[in-house]
Amino acid sequence: MAKVPKPNELVIEHGFPQTGWMDTPAVFRPGNFSYPGKAKNLQALGLPNPREWSPLDEDWKLPSNWKQIILEGMRERLDKFRSFKIFMDICVRCGACADKCHFYLGSGDPKNMPVLRAELLRSVYRKDFSLAGRIMGKMVGARDLTEDVLKEWFMYFFQCTECRRCSLFCPYGIDTAEVTMMGRELLNLVGLNIDWVVGPAANCFNNGNHLGIQPHAFKDMIEFFVDEIEAVNGIRCEPTFNRKGAEVLFITPSGDVFADPGTYTLMGYLMLFHQIGLDYTWSTYASEGGNFGMFTSHEVMKRLNSKMYAEAKRLGVKYIIGGECGHMWRVINQYMDTMNGPADFLEVPVSPMTGTRFDNAATTKMIHIVEFTADLIKNGKLKLDPSRNDHLVTTYHDSCNPARGMGFFEEPRYVIKNVCNNFHEMPPNTIREQTFCCGSGSGLNNDEFMEMRMRGGLPRANAVRHVHDLHGVNTLATICAIDRAVLTALMDYWVPDVTVYGVHELVANALVMDGETERTTDLRGEPLPGMEEDSENEDV
Amino acid sequence: MPTFEYETKKIQVDEEGYLVNFDDWDETVACALAEREGVGKECPLVKEQIEILKFIRDYYKKFSSVPVVRAVCTNVHQPRKCEYLEFPDPRITSKIAGIPKLVTGYELM
Repeated sequence: MAKVPKPNELVIEHGFPQTGWMDTPAVFRPGNFSYPGKAKNLQALGLPNPREWSPLDEDWKLPSNWKQIILEGMRERLDKFRSFKIFMDICVRCGACADKCHFYLGSGDPKNMPVLRAELLRSVYRKDFSLAGRIMGKMVGARDLTEDVLKEWFMYFFQCTECRRCSLFCPYGIDTAEVTMMGRELLNLVGLNIDWVVGPAANCFNNGNHLGIQPHAFKDMIEFFVDEIEAVNGIRCEPTFNRKGAEVLFITPSGDVFADPGTYTLMGYLMLFHQIGLDYTWSTYASEGGNFGMFTSHEVMKRLNSKMYAEAKRLGVKYIIGGECGHMWRVINQYMDTMNGPADFLEVPVSPMTGTRFDNAATTKMIHIVEFTADLIKNGKLKLDPSRNDHLVTTYHDSCNPARGMGFFEEPRYVIKNVCNNFHEMPPNTIREQTFCCGSGSGLNNDEFMEMRMRGGLPRANAVRHVHDLHGVNTLATICAIDRAVLTALMDYWVPDVTVYGVHELVANALVMDGETERTTDLRGEPLPGMEEDSENEDV
Repeated sequence: MPTFEYETKKIQVDEEGYLVNFDDWDETVACALAEREGVGKECPLVKEQIEILKFIRDYYKKFSSVPVVRAVCTNVHQPRKCEYLEFPDPRITSKIAGIPKLVTGYELM
């Protein structure tokens, strides 16, 4: 594995390139690519050309007719997805998107400009699917599809987190994330994917979740958190699993079940649902909110997503609440109801505590836990003591997909401001719809890609550092499981004084529960403000 | 598959250094794996380390998964951050415990 340079050793060159982009091949070196998908994972998903290979090898062991497969795949998708055809046709290469990409800002590599990333695909489209390109070739930006071009696609479509910040600035509204999705889908046709996408996707297909946690382990892990909560405030939550007839099915990313600090967010869900007496169940079948299929192909995304509705139908619930996750919500909000719906066996979600009807989820029948909680707070259904979070000075990172994918800006802020007394926004061009990506989404959150992750995360980290220096911010709140994990690494690297929290961990710290014992620590076992002496000897 | 020798034992690991056969593990193999991971050359390992490793192995046998980090420490009655105190980090602990490489949440931590 490549050694990650220290922050002061990381050089970013934004110089003028010495060669034209078509004449500059992709150079793979440890640290700038993710390990390729293992054969067993491709086999588990029924994906083509399973084999062991390395991007560092000359021979990528492609099928002999790989070019035909890609071009036919492109033709098929140009017919099927009108957006893809339009995005190939209408770019005028104005460059408005160029400096909006975190990977371009952090790497200085021109092929990370969204316009050029898309051009890698568009140049082949021109050559094979446009008359001008067929006749005039390079003069009109067309080029042949060669193995080097394919390798370049692999490099740069897996150096894009599909965050869609560039799309926001495109005067034509080109969604470069969709171009990347198409690029990845085409690469998959000849067996080119990364293992941190197909590994979790295969796990999800086999075991129900990305981390491959089996049903009995899933239950055991959640029951451990029940014990932990009891140790904090004496309340014993009673979650149920696979319970038919529950009103609500709750689904969250499996990262929350296993990985810190998401585990504390999960404790927050348990505490909130217990306090309000929600009639809900977990599922060990639909035990994953995220969907790494989205980073593979529409087909795999659909297959993995189908479990949500299937389980909701089997259990006979009224609707689904989803946990704090990023790309999960792009799949739910933009694809699920047409991909696997209509979910006419479910009802439009109505909060049993407030009576609020969530018409925004009238077709999907699935609501975000943060909007559910915001509604509880707005209607005065929760007793909150925000002073329990007074040791935290908080800012909020808008996760790309809930922000740009579903316009989810106000609810998280409303919740945080009700449970924390100290809150400061990062600069306006780094939040809300202009939020900067964590640099590790869309399956790029692997160890071997760490250098690029730290580069891509620099713009986000820089904005955090700004509020850290200005206001003493020490807490970065977020509503995405990947964010909770990767921003922790990013903060350790660029802004070490800042700790990452899920929003429902902050809610749970402040939540006053009926019958609770006196709280002396937060969920992490850290003493609450004013309780430092009481909890001195409670570290075991 | 690479094989290396430690004291009188021949130990088979994969290319990334994970023990190939889960059942080959004993406390001497743990010493060998710990040395390869740069944890130290002391053998036998200290009692706290062995307790952690055995708990992880028992959990894996039962659940085909590694336990949540805090659950390890609670169950062996050690401080909350025991895995970080006794080993460099949880994924190295799991490797020394002879668990095969999993697509686990470790990469999410």
